[in-house]
Amino acid sequence: MRDLSVIEAVREALAEEMARDPRVLLLGEDVAALGGVFRASEGLLERFGPERVIDMPMAETVIAGVAVGLAMRGLRPVAEIQFADFIHAAMDHLVGEAAKMRWRTAGDWTCPLVVRTAYGGGFRGGPYHSQSVEAFYAHAPGLKIVAPSTPADAKGLLIAAIRDPDPVLVLEHKRTYRAVRGPVPDGDVVVPIGVAAIARPGNDITLLTYGMMLHESLAAASALALEGIDVEVVDLRTLLPLDRATILRSLAKTRRLCVVHEDTLTMGLGAELCALAAEAGLLEVPPVRVAMPDIPGIPVDDALEDAILPNRATIRSSLVRLAALTPAHGAPHRAYDAAVPQASSVVEIALPEEHTRAVLDALVAACRAVPACNATFAWSGIVQHPEVVIDCDFGPASPARGGGTITLVDYGAQGADLAIPFVRPGQTAAVRIGAVRGGRAHVACSVDHRTVDGADVGRFLAAFCAALAGAAEVAHAG
Amino acid sequence: MWRLARAGRAHFAVPCSGHEAIGAGYALGMRRGLDWLSPHYRDLAALLVLGMEPRDVMLHFFSRPADPNAAGRQPYAHFGSRRLHVLSLQGPQPNHCSHGVGCAWGSKLLGDGSASVVAFGDGGAQKGEVHESMNVAAVHRLPVVFVVHRNGWTQSVKREHEYATETLVARAAGYGMPGIAVDGGDIEEMYAATRSALKRARSGHGPTLIDAHCIRFLPNTSNDDDTRYRDRSALEAEFSRRDPLERTRRLVSAKFAAAVDADNARTAQEAADWAEAQPHGDPATVTEHAYA
Repeated sequence: MRDLSVIEAVREALAEEMARDPRVLLLGEDVAALGGVFRASEGLLERFGPERVIDMPMAETVIAGVAVGLAMRGLRPVAEIQFADFIHAAMDHLVGEAAKMRWRTAGDWTCPLVVRTAYGGGFRGGPYHSQSVEAFYAHAPGLKIVAPSTPADAKGLLIAAIRDPDPVLVLEHKRTYRAVRGPVPDGDVVVPIGVAAIARPGNDITLLTYGMMLHESLAAASALALEGIDVEVVDLRTLLPLDRATILRSLAKTRRLCVVHEDTLTMGLGAELCALAAEAGLLEVPPVRVAMPDIPGIPVDDALEDAILPNRATIRSSLVRLAALTPAHGAPHRAYDAAVPQASSVVEIALPEEHTRAVLDALVAACRAVPACNATFAWSGIVQHPEVVIDCDFGPASPARGGGTITLVDYGAQGADLAIPFVRPGQTAAVRIGAVRGGRAHVACSVDHRTVDGADVGRFLAAFCAALAGAAEVAHAG
Repeated sequence: MWRLARAGRAHFAVPCSGHEAIGAGYALGMRRGLDWLSPHYRDLAALLVLGMEPRDVMLHFFSRPADPNAAGRQPYAHFGSRRLHVLSLQGPQPNHCSHGVGCAWGSKLLGDGSASVVAFGDGGAQKGEVHESMNVAAVHRLPVVFVVHRNGWTQSVKREHEYATETLVARAAGYGMPGIAVDGGDIEEMYAATRSALKRARSGHGPTLIDAHCIRFLPNTSNDDDTRYRDRSALEAEFSRRDPLERTRRLVSAKFAAAVDADNARTAQEAADWAEAQPHGDPATVTEHAYA
């Protein structure tokens, strides 16, 4: 593990991939003798020669078009567009050609190219050296887009992009190049495309962001933690395709969404992310977007640029506003998702009146014994959790908060003797303890049938009963 | 195909009447299975020379999923076949020029001795894409031959509104590459020019531009009506003298030519009947191949 800046991490990724695979070559403006205007390819001309590190004419269309042709021939071109502001001259080749190539030929031709480009403001570059362009390209199915924010991700995502069989646009925020340093693992670093990262876990608000705004968002979240607002910051890392599972899992827990991006507001990525959350029915209050206002460019003047780009202060105030919102009366707070197929099982057990601690311990033990019940369904595959997190629903005075994989429902003596609980959205199981009558109670367990089969529910309840009985023996012996 | 499209039995036809000798000529100069082609959309003749089966052409024409060119996803004349070394052709003309240059660059880097032909129209040649592509090919001496079909029409826009010179061959000198002007109706002339240009390309001396003059005898596509913008009677008079098929027939005996014509007509009819009877796509497959 070493500390690198983002630009050093990018350079390392390029060098390692060129050394690993002779098909990898770089092309772009000023990439050879100069080593790139940001020095991403510094030293690579000397190491790999002019056949693989190619200075191209100042013509973005042909840089992208040639990359398409090279990729069709089985080479692995990594094209650099010096500033994202210049990339639209290449758009026809990226959106019209590369993104469609596999689909339009039903897989006969493919286009595994990488285009890297430096985007983002905050360094007095003015309207043509500062823009964010992701929304234009995120509207192109067939393309993949990654936007790293840390050195480890900058390296790992670029390597993953070069090895990917489809075209990948790598958006590197130019302010992270030197301003952000961090640990990069030794050896082959691959960060899978399509997987977001929880940059900071939290329970109250889900903040979705990427690039330089991740760092501003983390600073805002840290400041708010002192005020009792617990923000979960999700680093999207891949913008196309989105990691819906991670986003929705976080939102099922927090039910509040803030999206932060430097790109302009209208039709930006925030719109899609808010729609995703709204369609899933997960929001208890309206979402908040923090973005650049809808003006045509980023001004160069210090005061003007600082006034329009989101920063930790504007993010913080938006989060405070979001945390203070109260759900409107009758707002959906869905306790279950009718679309999730459920299976349930019931046992009757001996149980003392005071049992909460013992039941929680027994649930943890049962999850350890039957790990299938401590996993979450996602369309991309079932996610197994190493830790056990139990959400408790003890009635209106202490309702469930969401999060975790299991809800324990126990309304005590006021509850019904027997009722089948619903699995909450984003969770896998719900266990309901019925009212204790004469030292005995019914325990009902429901599971998401997509994740857990009937036999596992039975095993889970058996393990739960065994753990509870064991605890009772210990208590009795004590 | 023209009649079938006009009759509504297929979506789209692109006539190549008047252009046949260009595609056939350059394709005969290529080494099949080694050299690469980024074709013009009027280059059906080249595809047939390179080995595309008439049934596959007709599957493409009828937009059936079994079509090896585009699997029912792109309309007719968007050719492509990895097996035949034909790069997939797109809608916006002529984006394939830089793809062909990249492909030629791949030949140079891989050192496999192959060369590329990139063909496009004189309308497309007015786009920056062609300028940028020819410039890069010349700078890096890439093994590529550019063939421009110069028919003087860009759909309805006449040559005088597209470019100010009579021909395009002089442009080659501007990029530092040789230019060859040929009669694109003469298959032997087209073949000879391509052979010499490909020889130059393979020997590492870089690209050549072949300016092939021809007549677009029919409307631009089955969706076009050329009586709205040009005088068909003058066109037909000129075409009767310069029809490349007729000129090619004169290179062989009349009996042989008639036999070939009859055989081709039978083959085309059989292929069309067969392809039209093939099933349409399964809607469940439409999302396939968006990603690997």
